Amino acid sequence: MRKKRWVPWVLVGPALLIIVLTTIYPLVAALYFSFHKYNLRKPAQFAIQIGENGIHIDWSLLTLNNYALAFSDSRFINSLNVTFWFTVISVALSVIIGLFIAVIVQKGGRLHTLTKVLLIFPFAVSPALKGYSWRFMLNEEYGIYDLLIDQLIVAPVNALLSLLNALPLVEIPLISESIVWLGDKFWALFMLAMSETWGWAPLIALMFVGALGSIDEQIFEAARIDGANRLQIFFRVTLPLLRPVILIVTMLKTIFSLKMFDQVVTMTGGGPVRATQTINYYIHQIGFVRSLDIGYASAMSYILVIVLTICAALYVSLVLNRD
Amino acid sequence: MTAHTIGTNPSSLRQQSLKVLETLALLLIIAFIMLPIFWLTITAIKPREKAYTTDIVFQPTLDNFRVIFADYTVIMNAGTDRERGELGRDMFPSVVNSVVVSGATILIAIPLATLAAYAFSRYSFWGNGVLLVWILTTQFIPAIVVAIPFFTLFRTLEVFGSPLLGTRLGLIIVNMSIVLPYAIWMIKGFVDALPGEIEEAAFVDGCNDFQILFFISLPLIRPGVLVASVFAFIMSWNEFLFALIIGREMRTMQVALMTTRGALGIMWELMAAAGLVVMVPIFFLALFIRKNVIDGLTMGAVK
Repeated sequence: MRKKRWVPWVLVGPALLIIVLTTIYPLVAALYFSFHKYNLRKPAQFAIQIGENGIHIDWSLLTLNNYALAFSDSRFINSLNVTFWFTVISVALSVIIGLFIAVIVQKGGRLHTLTKVLLIFPFAVSPALKGYSWRFMLNEEYGIYDLLIDQLIVAPVNALLSLLNALPLVEIPLISESIVWLGDKFWALFMLAMSETWGWAPLIALMFVGALGSIDEQIFEAARIDGANRLQIFFRVTLPLLRPVILIVTMLKTIFSLKMFDQVVTMTGGGPVRATQTINYYIHQIGFVRSLDIGYASAMSYILVIVLTICAALYVSLVLNRD
Repeated sequence: MTAHTIGTNPSSLRQQSLKVLETLALLLIIAFIMLPIFWLTITAIKPREKAYTTDIVFQPTLDNFRVIFADYTVIMNAGTDRERGELGRDMFPSVVNSVVVSGATILIAIPLATLAAYAFSRYSFWGNGVLLVWILTTQFIPAIVVAIPFFTLFRTLEVFGSPLLGTRLGLIIVNMSIVLPYAIWMIKGFVDALPGEIEEAAFVDGCNDFQILFFISLPLIRPGVLVASVFAFIMSWNEFLFALIIGREMRTMQVALMTTRGALGIMWELMAAAGLVVMVPIFFLALFIRKNVIDGLTMGAVK
């Protein structure tokens, strides 16, 4: 072949060097910090000391305390919990709504095409801005979401309930019209997940639209001739064919959800009472806002790294084994 | 037969109602996607007294933009803190920061990514496949893990006599960790799609590796490089965690959104105006690379 052996290394080298410096270096450094007592407020002492007599390692400075602390810290446990539920809700909603959008939008027609173009818009809204705009729209006094939820969901349901209550059979309490969405522990987490869903469901829909487009139309045709109705076609034909893509997308979204940080800062600030403190947010609080304990922050972020490594391995194996 | 003539054919009625349902579903989807964007847009041009209502009838104004871009010297000359806060936000430096950081990030990342992507696509060398997958997995490292060591490093690491923490350069360096891997994968996709015959012919004609790369292949993948540049620009423009921790007082627009806080909480009409400045340029860029966003985000995993 024409190719000289050193040529690819010259081409790959600079990019690879920068990736190593900006990802491997911090991974190693954070691991190293995590085994130390390291608080920004105090001068830190590290195990590896480079002095006049060469490199000296002081083993006594290494400690597992940060990891031990993590598992006895109820706030850290809480952040694991919050992250878990945020991930479950946002992944489930994003994938299901994304699938719904894809199936509706997929066919031709003007309105379909317009919708397909609009699907890219949430991608352009930064997560930080997403958080602010949702917070604004959920405001209980002048938020448009608050108004719409009250008018379109709560009011009709309550009307129905009062109708039932008029019969002397049961007494069902009405739904409150004055829920402060971001002031309620459950609703704050749910709405945080909804804002994530708003950003991701359209993108996931686009992923599914691509996958649906590559399915041979004859398969659907055959199902129709065999007398299958729309629902049957969806559950018996479309879903099984999409299964590999659904798995990949679900895994990818899980990873992005586990990494979520921006909207917690701009939408809920972790509240009410830590109900939306995800791992990333809590690490940020410990490391940069409150105690400035870099050692502890590093240890907690390493626990997150381990979880994400497992997810990444799953994801890669899903992608590689697809065909 | 009679049923047909009076137009109550059950199957066509079914078709009709399905059609209506589908249209309703489409309108619902459009509302779901566009409502936050629409609401932000109208809030940005609402006068202050209307911003805290759900009214959609109002006299549009550009006052909010005037406030967020008010000149800092004017602000400082105002009397009390409260009055200064009311007067303006001086976000122009943040716009500059965002443009400089995102621009410099792609100016450095894209040429390097292009060379690497070309090598990954066209050469088989030891570790080729493993390296590519490894580059993909670096995207699963949580940003906070990257931020912590760079924060402590940049506190003491000095360039041009001042620490890197809170500088645009520091932010550009850290942004490489998210931008480079995506760019390599995106551009590689474009090189893969390019037929190899042209390069073979050039080789037969006596071109060496680098002549082929710079004079034959690069011009052909220019559209792909442009798409990857736009994608990378959007990523670093929308980046928040690094901007918050590493950029600090050298605020990008994402962080500057937080400065719309006033004495009584966030001033939403200002936040919306700043938000519009943040998102409108990105709308055009996103529309431009619409067909490639998914390939970029998934690094080609969903096709």
